[in-house]
Amino acid sequence: MSETWMIAGVWIAAGLTIFLFSFLYKDNPFFKIAEHLYLGAGMGWWFQVYLYNIWIPKVWDPLAHAPHDWGVLIPAVLGLSLVTQFIPKISWVSRYGFTFLMGYGAGLVVPASLATDFMSQIVGTIKPFSALGSMSAFSIFNALLIAVGVISVLFYFFFSVEHKGAVKKVSNFGIYFLMVYFGAAFGNTVMARFSLLYGRFDELNAAASAHNFYATQIILAAMVLYFLVHGMIGKKPSAEEAH
Amino acid sequence: MKEILQKFFKIDRRWIFLLLAIVLFTPIIRPIGLPNKTIARDTRNAYEALDKLPKGSFVLFSLDYDPSTRPELQPQATAVIRHAFRRDLRVGVVTYIAGSTGLIQQIFEKVPGEFKKVNGTDYAIFPYMANPTAVMTQMASDFYGIYDKDQDGKDARSLPVMKGIKSYKDMAMVVNITGTSILDSWVALVGDKYNVPLVAGVTAISQPGYGPYLQTGQLKGLIGGMKGAAEYESLIQEPGKGTSGIDSLNLGHLLVLALILTSNIILLVIRYL
Amino acid sequence: MKLIKKHIPLAIVVVTGLFTVASYYIPNKTSVDYLEMINKWENIVSAFAFLLGLISLFYSHFSKISRRTDGWGYSLFVFIGFAAMVVPAVLMHGKQMEAGQVTSLGWAFRSIYNPLSATMFAVLAFYIVSTAYRSFRIKSGQALVLFVAAFILILGKVPLGQIVWDKALGWTHYGVDQVIEWIMSVPAVAGKRGIMIGISIGTVVTSLKIIFGIERQYMGKD
Repeated sequence: MSETWMIAGVWIAAGLTIFLFSFLYKDNPFFKIAEHLYLGAGMGWWFQVYLYNIWIPKVWDPLAHAPHDWGVLIPAVLGLSLVTQFIPKISWVSRYGFTFLMGYGAGLVVPASLATDFMSQIVGTIKPFSALGSMSAFSIFNALLIAVGVISVLFYFFFSVEHKGAVKKVSNFGIYFLMVYFGAAFGNTVMARFSLLYGRFDELNAAASAHNFYATQIILAAMVLYFLVHGMIGKKPSAEEAH
Repeated sequence: MKEILQKFFKIDRRWIFLLLAIVLFTPIIRPIGLPNKTIARDTRNAYEALDKLPKGSFVLFSLDYDPSTRPELQPQATAVIRHAFRRDLRVGVVTYIAGSTGLIQQIFEKVPGEFKKVNGTDYAIFPYMANPTAVMTQMASDFYGIYDKDQDGKDARSLPVMKGIKSYKDMAMVVNITGTSILDSWVALVGDKYNVPLVAGVTAISQPGYGPYLQTGQLKGLIGGMKGAAEYESLIQEPGKGTSGIDSLNLGHLLVLALILTSNIILLVIRYL
Repeated sequence: MKLIKKHIPLAIVVVTGLFTVASYYIPNKTSVDYLEMINKWENIVSAFAFLLGLISLFYSHFSKISRRTDGWGYSLFVFIGFAAMVVPAVLMHGKQMEAGQVTSLGWAFRSIYNPLSATMFAVLAFYIVSTAYRSFRIKSGQALVLFVAAFILILGKVPLGQIVWDKALGWTHYGVDQVIEWIMSVPAVAGKRGIMIGISIGTVVTSLKIIFGIERQYMGKD
């Protein structure tokens, strides 16, 4: 692509970014356009990835070119059966595809989650105690805290026992561990969201350079002008406020 | 007094939006100059796990993120791939997220050239596949059963970089960088079952969730969010977007804390005054 | 008819489910061959599942346009966005780079899909801040614990926060990064591990119900 196209790309990217951000001030047609473009472009991108990575090389090529592999007809038909969902009269055909997907998925998940999220986690909680002799007092305290924490959280989730007396105390203790986890998760979520915003701002800053003909500044100014003009023309008695 | 505070508490939230925008944007134009200093244990473990692999070992990268988590994960992936190339490791790249293909492209336009690495000889990029669990299980017995061609349609078996690689047994490590639960599948279906060392990079959001896997050693190391990216960049001494990103987040983080404290203090004052 | 509509699909779920479970524990050639075949199939079938989403999105926006409902003009942009990706893909046979040059497909990814998708999620940063201001209430002991954990994490992840910590709590000789390390590897592990074990039990039970045909809501009504 030529340099002109690349700069045009920067303008489009900066414009779409600012259009989506403009919703923070007020809903407007530019936001709606960008939002709908997002839906279409996302689907379009996935469609072409599926087309050139799976449907053509994994389904079409083995059927159309020698050496033929007619075996792929089975998953292809099972896959296509899913689409009958949209035709009420024969929607039951889609069950063939769905049951295949569900059977496979469930079959894979049972042993894997037993081994990884159940057994390994129990072992991981108990194992530190096997080296008790060589552990510092602080490590022993930590290992104990994890063990007590896991057990009390499990008590909290143990719905079949009525939460009364000692059970209630233990499960209340478990809540504190959950709160630490949720607090840590919230703290990290703030950082993650800010990182994403930083990413957009960083690109807007790059688009603001002279090389890109000040794309960010010009589009931003145009948006402000739009809101000013729109505000003056369509002034209603009760100003709309975002809450 | 009470009324003023109440009004202040119920301030139009767009003022807060504006404040955040200013606080995050200003350091991009004028960096504060406070880059990341500390390095988390899990990031160091990830670095060391890769660093001690012998030259020529094959490392499989599963890069599963799309533009929505790019600012956190692209710098991580770039830093780890730089590290792998510098250590002369062989690199294979797979992905299970459709939006990832464009981002992988952007890394490999630039990074291999820095180390004079050649497509097909030193690294290979494989096409997107729809179902991670199916492909992960498949690669345990025959990698080429799914990936018979690379991204450009070249026969995968005959690529020099793939010499002697047939299944996980022949790979030294798997590195998964993702903002999705694909990492859970790598742990359960590959790391645990086939004893492949697994290192991961995740978004800050999902980072706390992987503590249990780190404690048990099911994960050898974990790079978390933009901070993790900055840490890895300083370990390989190649500052990039992670390093500059952390500098910009400085004020934003303090703003959130200030806001939470302010609103709670206001409410206390309103109640007890 | 009941055989074709109900019994065979249920048999598929039972057979694939049980075989797949068994293949995890039985490491012989037949089991590996079975798994290889079914893995390839699964990869293809799930690619077709994407069509479900595509068709329903197209259908809803197509009917908005054809019925000229309020804001139907915006629905046109769904199709424009779709074409903006698919047309260059077809022209370039799905290649984003050719001879060291970005193709029109690579260009479309960078100028359209990438900024849209990234910004959609970046907007959430604004809401998390305003929600933190308005709704983060420290009303109970549990909320205080949550707040303290969050506070330390938010503070300690940035260098400026580390400086603040050292100024205020430097006398403890514990760096904020050490405290974060401890939170993440001890109490947070206990909390998350409890959740993990709980979820794994739930997952196994639900999956077994699916395999044995007890849970079959996904099949729809007869």
